[in-house]
Order: sequence, then C-alpha cells, then structure tokens
Amino acid sequence: MSNEQKSSGSPIVGIIIGAVLMVGGTYLSLNAKAMGVGGIQETLEGQGIPLDFGKTIGTIGVFLILFPVIKSFFIKPLQDAIQERNSDLERTFTEAENLRTEMERMKSDYDRRLAESEANAREQIQSQIREAQNLRSSLMAEAATRADALVQQATAEIEAEKQKVLVELRTHVVDLALAAAEKVVGENMDSERNRRLVDDYINSVEVVA
Amino acid sequence: MVRAVETDLGAVVDAIRSNPEFRHFTMTPLVGRDDKTTIFQNVFGDKVTSLTMQVLRLMIERGREADLESVHAEFVKLRRSEDGIVFATVTSREPLTPEQKVALVEKVELRIKKKIEPEFVTDVRVIGGVKVAYDNYVLDGTVRGSIGKLREKLRYELLKQS
Repeated sequence: MSNEQKSSGSPIVGIIIGAVLMVGGTYLSLNAKAMGVGGIQETLEGQGIPLDFGKTIGTIGVFLILFPVIKSFFIKPLQDAIQERNSDLERTFTEAENLRTEMERMKSDYDRRLAESEANAREQIQSQIREAQNLRSSLMAEAATRADALVQQATAEIEAEKQKVLVELRTHVVDLALAAAEKVVGENMDSERNRRLVDDYINSVEVVA
Repeated sequence: MVRAVETDLGAVVDAIRSNPEFRHFTMTPLVGRDDKTTIFQNVFGDKVTSLTMQVLRLMIERGREADLESVHAEFVKLRRSEDGIVFATVTSREPLTPEQKVALVEKVELRIKKKIEPEFVTDVRVIGGVKVAYDNYVLDGTVRGSIGKLREKLRYELLKQS
C-alpha cells in the first residue's frame, strides 16, 4: 500500500519532467549551435560518436513520459496479477497449511482415539479375562463343593443303607428266632403248663387299691 | 324284661346267621311284609316276649329287617352301658376251668372297678396263657403276647443302636 502511495505521486512529476525534457531537448536539438553545444557535438562526431544532446534529452523526456504509461497499462496489471497470483498462492499455501495442520490434528486425534480405543479394548479384554478367571475359579470352587457334598451325601446314604440292611437283617434274625421259639413253645405246651400259665397270670394281675 | 328282649333278639339274630335260607327269606324284598310278619309270628310268636315280637313286626313293617343284627348289637351295648357293665373277651388256648373263670373275672373287675360281662373264647394261636380284652384295653398274659413284646423290645433296641 505504501508503494502505491509513493508511485501515485511520482508519475505526474515524471511526466512533467519528461515533458520539460522532451521540449527542452527538442529546443536544444534545434538550437544546438546557438546554445553553445554544437561544437561539442561536432567534436564527438569527429571522434566517431555522433551524439545529439537535444535528441538525447528529448528521448529521455519521452521515456519519462512513456514509463508511467507503460507502468499504468502494463506493469501495474502485471504486478497486480503477480500480486494476486502470490496472494492466491499464499492463500493456497495457507489453506494447504491449514489443511495439513487440520489433517495433523485429525491424525493426532485419530491416533489418540485409536490409542484410547486400543487401551479400552485391552482394558475390556483384561476385564473379560479377569471375569472369566473369577468365573472359572468360582465354578471350580462350586463344583468342588458340590462334588464334596455329593460324596458326603453318597457316603451318608451308603452308611444309612448299610445300617438299614443291618437292622433289617437283625430284625429278620429276631423274627426267625422268635418264630422258632413260638414253634418250640407251642409244641411243648400241654394242658398242665397252660393251666399253670393261666393261674400265674391270674395271680399276677395287679389290683389298684 | 330288658334281658329277655336282648335274649330274644339274640336268638333271632342267631337263627338268621345260622340258617342261610331263613336269612335270604328275611332279607329279600321279593316276599311281602305281611307274609314276613306272619312267618315271624308263627316261628317266634311263642318263643319270644310280646315286646320283642312288637319290635320285629315294627322293623318288618318299616323294611328294616337288614338292620336286625346291628339293632341287637346296639341294644346290647346300650344295656351294658346302662348297667355299667364292660364287655370283655377272654381268650385262652384251652377252655378255662370254672374256678379260673371266677378268679379271673374277680381280678379284672377289681382292677377296672367295673362289672364285666365276659365272653370266653379259645384260640390256639395264643400258645398258652390268657388274654382279656375290653373297651380299648388288653390284659395280655399269653405266650404269644410275651413273645410279641420281646420282639418289639428287640426291634426297638436294634433301631436305637442304629
């Protein structure tokens, strides 16, 4: 912006100077001898340097006039185009940089989330493993407890069955012995013994006072 | 009079029990009530008291011939209850002597403080001794009873040991 302000003032001055030089140079070229530079030009021409100071100054004035025009109609649009191109490039680079930064941020975010996911997955896997181990331990303990209980129950049932069979056997022995006793007593029972038994029982009946 | 009615009813029930044909005649509904009444009058009229005959006639008229046995049993039960007498069944291997019967009845009456009406039966299964059963009680002096008590005691000991 500061360059444009500087250049906005200089073209007018340059054009004025150019116009003055062009007019002055033309006048000098037409009145060289009268203005005392004809001798110098002739000397230089004699040395092989055909230099006309008036035309040279006028040409410089023309350049000074043409330069701002060229600048206004060619250099300035070119500079603007270059500036715009640079701006576009800068903007593009900035956008690219922003995109790169965003991509890096997203990548870092993705990496972070991936790491978090992996950590969560590892934690969940570890948790599941711990839970499975705990479940396994509890199931094994329960199975052992139930197995012990079943063994104890089976042992108790076997013992009870054994006792039951023993009792049944002994009861059967008692029944057999008493049946044999009944048979023997019955065979040996006669009227006299029966009479004594009846008398003994009659005498043994207790009478409550 | 009560005893006479009981005896008469007992005789009628015995006749029904011992004679199948008479039992069928008494129980069948195919014979009319008048015919049954006439037959009963002819058979038992001169053997039972008039009160018993009235009872028989009433039961036939009401169609209650089948209940004669239960009426007799209930009559006996009520008579015993009214007289304060307990019916007792005395079971022995052989018939008891008259002295044994008297002595046993006296002892039992003294023991339960009631008069008893004994029925003496024989049963070889008692092996020996005598057993008196009355109401819901049993005075068991038989060999079979002693062996039974011994069996129960041995079983109890066996169960206690196990």
